Order: sequence, then C-alpha cells, then structure tokens
Amino acid sequence: MTKREIKPKPEFLERMKKLLEPRDFDRYEKSIQEPLLNSIRCDTLKIPPEQLKKRLEEKNWKISQIWKNYPEVMVIEGKYVRQGSQIDIAPKSLSADFSAKNIVNAQKNFKLTFTDYDNAKNNLTINKISQRSALAKPGAEQKISSEARQILVPLEPGELGRSIEHLLGYYYVQELASMLSIIALNPRPNELILDLCASPGSKTSQISAQIKNTGTIIANDINIGRIKILASNLERCGVTNAIITRDDGIRLCEKFKLQNIKFDKILLDAPCSGEGTIRSSPKSCLMWNPNTIKSLSKLQKKLFKGAFEILKEGGKIVYSTCTHAPEENEEVVDFTLKEFQGQIEIEKIDLPVSCRPGIINWNDKNYDKEVIKSCRIYPQDSNTEGFFLAKFKKLK
Amino acid sequence: MIHLLSNQETQEILKKLNEQFGVQKIPGKLIKIGNEKIFLFNGDFSDGQIKNLEKITFIERAGIYFGKIFDLTEEIRLSIEGTQILKNQITKNIFEIKKEQLENWMQGQELNIQTGLKGIIIIKHKEDYLGCGKASENKIGNFIPKSRRLKIKS
Repeated sequence: MTKREIKPKPEFLERMKKLLEPRDFDRYEKSIQEPLLNSIRCDTLKIPPEQLKKRLEEKNWKISQIWKNYPEVMVIEGKYVRQGSQIDIAPKSLSADFSAKNIVNAQKNFKLTFTDYDNAKNNLTINKISQRSALAKPGAEQKISSEARQILVPLEPGELGRSIEHLLGYYYVQELASMLSIIALNPRPNELILDLCASPGSKTSQISAQIKNTGTIIANDINIGRIKILASNLERCGVTNAIITRDDGIRLCEKFKLQNIKFDKILLDAPCSGEGTIRSSPKSCLMWNPNTIKSLSKLQKKLFKGAFEILKEGGKIVYSTCTHAPEENEEVVDFTLKEFQGQIEIEKIDLPVSCRPGIINWNDKNYDKEVIKSCRIYPQDSNTEGFFLAKFKKLK
Repeated sequence: MIHLLSNQETQEILKKLNEQFGVQKIPGKLIKIGNEKIFLFNGDFSDGQIKNLEKITFIERAGIYFGKIFDLTEEIRLSIEGTQILKNQITKNIFEIKKEQLENWMQGQELNIQTGLKGIIIIKHKEDYLGCGKASENKIGNFIPKSRRLKIKS
C-alpha cells in the first residue's frame, strides 16, 4: 500500500503559519498526513450503545468509547484476526503503542502475512523488515493468547460501511469533530429546530437521536443531489421527526420571518472552504483558493443574519464550519456580534476535545473581544479534523 | 406534492396492517408522496403547520419512508424502517432467516426456500428486522433497496 501524501498549496500553508506558532505548525503539518480515526456514532434511536458495542465486538472489532459522557461515540481501533489470515499491519506499533493512530499508520506502510502462528512467532513472512518485535508482547493490545491467537489489524477500506449494523442504521460513520456542533447545540426534547444546511444529514440525525424523535426538525438544503443523500441517511437512521425542505437558506429564513415561524434552536453548519477536512478529503487542497474564502464569508454572514432573525427569544444558535479560515469563522462571529449588538450574546462551549479560543485579529482586522469564546479545533490537538464553532443566545 | 392522510385513510391502512401483520396502532401521522409511497411522521408539527410550510417552501419529505401500497393486490409492503418501528406489534407473517441466509438477503438476492407463507411477509434474523419479502411457493422475493444492500467484496 503506498503512503498517501497531502500537499496543500503554499499560500494555504502560509496562512496556517500565521495562525500557529512555529512548533505548532510543524505538529499541524505532520497531523494532516495521518489518516483519521474510524469513528462512529451509535444511532440510539435504533439500538443502545452497549448493545451495539457488544455486537461489534462479536465481529472481533476493537471498540473504544472515547468520550465518557457520550457512550454513543465509538472509535473502531481495528479488528482481531486469527493466525493464517492475510493482514496489513504496522511493525512499529505492534510491540509498543498500539493506538488507533498507529494502526492506521501501519496500514499505509507494510503488508504482513501470517501463515501460521507458530511459524509466525519464529519466522514471520514480512515484506521489507523482520518482525519478531510484532509478537514480543502478547499481552495488552495484541490479544494473542494460546486460546485465541489473534492479533489486532486495521479495518479494511470501506469495511465500516459494509457491515450489517451499518446497513440497518445502527450506527452512522461520522468524524469526531463533526459531532461537536450538536454537543454544543444541546437540543432538548420537543423543541422546534432548524438545520439550515442539513446535507448529508449526520448532524440532523444526531439531533433527532438526542431528542428521541420528539419535537420537529426542519432539515433544509438547496441542492437536490445532496437532498437525496440527506433523505437516504435520515431514513437509515430512523428519523421520523424531520421535514426535509429544498430551498435557498437565506430565502427560506426570509419566508419563515414573514410567516413568524420561530425556532428554539438553529444549527448553521455553513458551507465553507473545508480546510479542516483535508485529512479525509485531500481534494480540498486542490479546490482551495483565497477568493472562495471571501465569497463564502459574505454568504455565511447573510445566512447567519437570516437565521438569527427567526430564532425565538432565549433561543440558541450554533454556527460551525469545517475550516480554519478566520474570514469564515471569527469574522462572521464578529459581524454578528456587531450587527445584533444588545440582542445577542456568545456563550462558552464545553466540549469533550481540546478547544482553542477564537482569534481576535487577522490581517490587520481586529475583532470583538467576545470572539475568543468561539472554539477552534485543530487536528494536532485531538486527532480530529479541523473545525470551528460558536454558540449564541438570542436575548431579545 | 404531499398528501396528509385523513383519519379514514389512516384507519384503512391500519386495517390492512392488522390483517397482514397483526399491527394494532400506527405511531404517527401518515403522509403520501406520489401514488404509492407512504411516510410516517411523528414530529410535533400539526397538519395545519405542515400545510402552511408547504405553501412557502418545497417539502421534499416529511418523516420516514414507511411502506408502499400495491395497487393490484392492495397489500402493504413495509420498508426496513417500517418493520423496525412496528417490530413490537408484528405478530404474523414473520419469517426468520438463518445466519447463512442473512448475507444473501442483505445482498438483495431472492431466497430459494419454502416458508409456508404467501404474499408479503416480514423478514427477520434474531432481533434484526430486515424489511419485507414476497413469499411464493419456493422462494422469497427481495426488496432491499440498492442503497442498503451489502456490497460483495471485490
């Protein structure tokens, strides 16, 4: 298997250098070359987390529930295979740190064939290097015992999406950072919630699971192709409380305003330049350009303005993007705080990952000091994608 | 165009569901989109609110795809989610497939087995409800949609 290399454009890297300290930038550069963890969210509308975990463990998958207060969030660290299976494996990580990160690194670099456990123990058939160290510690992570004689290897590409449990909607394959918007929004049962840019539906289905299919979710998107994916995902996840609308987000907000339809909670997971997604979608690097950032920033401000006007008094709105660009993040927050001064306050967010404060100056622009209550999520901090969130309360 | 089913229309569907599968109660509003497809919505929005929403924007879907009514036989074929939602109420025309048949079923293949049943039946494996099949003398026809089929490893 060849090692993939993500090559961001020089101008993008220059911007990241301005955002990060030199050593931090080095960590960032390394982190984007690492594949992401295999994370899933148990669909609690269909199955309790412990039951799903048990089922997946019966498939010999190694499951970790990494966030104490969110048992539905799971990371698949790999699967145990019997001797004699042909597997992809990492020589370094077997004997030492068998973290999910290392498993994935392993997959990229080496191919190892176990013909027989006893043979393997003495004479492993390994491409490139000797692998005695692989079996040096039959304890902790390797689960190699005289009975099981199994070893942990990475899942095959696409394996997460091919399981019966996935097809039946028992879990949703979702990147960890993408789950944070709903943790921040904290929807409550019986609320009326708007997901303004809802496709592909990961966050809509997360809302629905959290409020146990009560209340009503309006899940909107503008693009028919994306709506088909949204509808398919909501169906698979057993979402019965959502109405899917197809409309331009800004126009839809105007229509709701005219009808005096107001929401308890709004998620504005805005269209963005996707800088944070380059680990899962290296093509983001090719598509990236600074002009798009400027136009997206204008669109995001308009969407936020429209959404804020249809929020109930005391209602909450979460603004999130999967980009690092301050123009699409803090600048939008700053615009909002100024535009709705006295009517809005930004709230602190408690998240289960490492979160950095929003920045208050960028390219000679100074932002409102309250902007620091926003959250910047970097891949080098919690081994996730890059993300940005801010949460607001409507005062009047 | 969506059509919110009246009480009478809902009762007719419940009657069919009762005859076919022993179902006693439909847990939500039924909505028809197109000629055959029925959706189940159990959000708080009232019929009036849904109609108002439809006046101002385009509603693609409301709720979840629940099942389909066949014009000719007037039988109802529940979707995978339809069977999962009603699983605690389903008492008849259920066929439990074996582990070795599960993969074939999820791949969208018909099963060449005798069930002793005829017409639309519920397929399950252990605690998993897997949608409906159409049983004839020697086989069960498969309706697993393409997007939900188990892909054969290349």
